[in-house]
Amino acid sequence: MRIDVHSHVRVRDGRLSVDDCHSLVDAADRLGIDQMWCSAPAPGAMPEPEAIRAGNDAVIEAMRLYPERIRGECFVVPGWYREALDEIDRCLDAGMIGIKLYNQYFINDPAVFPVIEKAIDCGIFVLDHAGHLMDTPTRRLQPKISDGVHFADLAGRYPEATLIMGHIGGGGDYEWSLQALVDAPSVFADTSGSVIDEGMIEYAVGLLGAERLLFACDLSEEAGVGKVLGANISAEERQAIFGGNAQAILSRRKAR
Amino acid sequence: MIIDANAWLGQWPFRQLRHNDVDGLLRLMDANGIDKAVVSSIHGIFYKNCQRANEELAEAVSGCHDRLLSFATLNPHYPGWERNLQLCRNDLGMRGLRVFPAYHQYDLTDGPSLEMIAAASELGWPVTITQRVVDVRQRHPMDTERLIGVAEFEAVVAACPQTSFIMLNALGLEGSAMFAGNREGGRQVMTDISRMTAVMGNSMGVMVEKYGAGSLVFGTGIPFNYPRPALLKMDVLQADAATKEAIYHGNLERLLRL
Repeated sequence: MRIDVHSHVRVRDGRLSVDDCHSLVDAADRLGIDQMWCSAPAPGAMPEPEAIRAGNDAVIEAMRLYPERIRGECFVVPGWYREALDEIDRCLDAGMIGIKLYNQYFINDPAVFPVIEKAIDCGIFVLDHAGHLMDTPTRRLQPKISDGVHFADLAGRYPEATLIMGHIGGGGDYEWSLQALVDAPSVFADTSGSVIDEGMIEYAVGLLGAERLLFACDLSEEAGVGKVLGANISAEERQAIFGGNAQAILSRRKAR
Repeated sequence: MIIDANAWLGQWPFRQLRHNDVDGLLRLMDANGIDKAVVSSIHGIFYKNCQRANEELAEAVSGCHDRLLSFATLNPHYPGWERNLQLCRNDLGMRGLRVFPAYHQYDLTDGPSLEMIAAASELGWPVTITQRVVDVRQRHPMDTERLIGVAEFEAVVAACPQTSFIMLNALGLEGSAMFAGNREGGRQVMTDISRMTAVMGNSMGVMVEKYGAGSLVFGTGIPFNYPRPALLKMDVLQADAATKEAIYHGNLERLLRL
């Protein structure tokens, strides 16, 4: 089973782009991906609650279109404290399975703590857009993007939280972030992103263990599948990364 | 038959590479069904005098010219490139040129650059330009963050109407008209597939539809990259067998007269 834990549906004119949704599922069919866990983060430093809800509504629509293939991750901006917590409840009631954060706050910012505590209460994961960016233009665009150091700090405060550091292949210095996570065993890393550095999966397996890695694409579909298929790891490790670990994370959910 | 237009030998100073000597690269190719690869020396990017890297490369591949097709690396602002170009072709058995304006710090369309490209073209060589060698978002602080933009590609292609070009590691070229001039027997402008996709945005399919199969060459970026993603793209590309054969090997065979 291949579960892509970090994917997206697109929103156009405030609604789900159904064509893009069909394209995503078509790509999954051709690459043997069984399930995509999708979100639709609203852009901007502090998007309005209406825009956040519109994105989540698009995810809910995609879940209805493809109930066997698309599962939802609820995007929230922690700074909208009450609205964020209410939105998590609304999305979980609609069938979503986790929380997605973007780059509005470092993940160890106290503003994020209520969202983390909510996730712990519900037994769900928090996936955060992450990276240790090294180039000036991208770093300027994302001054509050979290890296492994931020995750390790948060994991020290909330060791019972299920945290997923997004896209080690998303372009930042993933070796930096992986090194920082060695002693933060509650943090998973997803493998998504366009970066397909030869050896990156083997390095992550060696450092964190295959049980802490989650297959993902983040819309770089061939890169996502190809790097896991191409890695020199055991069949058991590959299966754990492709889906076994994600299924185990789902089993942590508490009944609502 | 699969020919990889985007392969490398040598050490990258900012990240550990594996499979980056001749034996390692050939093993990686064998494990992935890649028959031949165009290679240049990574050291040519960083040595002040590129020719020393070309000499190293020629010695390294001397026993396997049937599989590793070597391309020279030269800097048009370093003395002696004219002589070294001839040496690379006549004495070192090389088949094309790779240039690195972002690392050697010049403009593709400045005088010395155009002069060197024209000289390579007179030898019947294609010229390869990389949009980037590695992802700048994860660069070492001492590495460049300059990318070669689409406009720079277009400018040099327009300025050198006789020269065949291969773009490597490039994104966003499918909207460019620079591929529209490919004609049987004329100069060819191509890009490798290493950063393209055959699903969703389907930039590979768009290129084939707009400019024909002759606009693409197979390329992986080994040993920087896993080769498997490029092979997967070819597997899922919705195109006929003739198109895939052209991308896998036919276009490069024609360009390099293999």
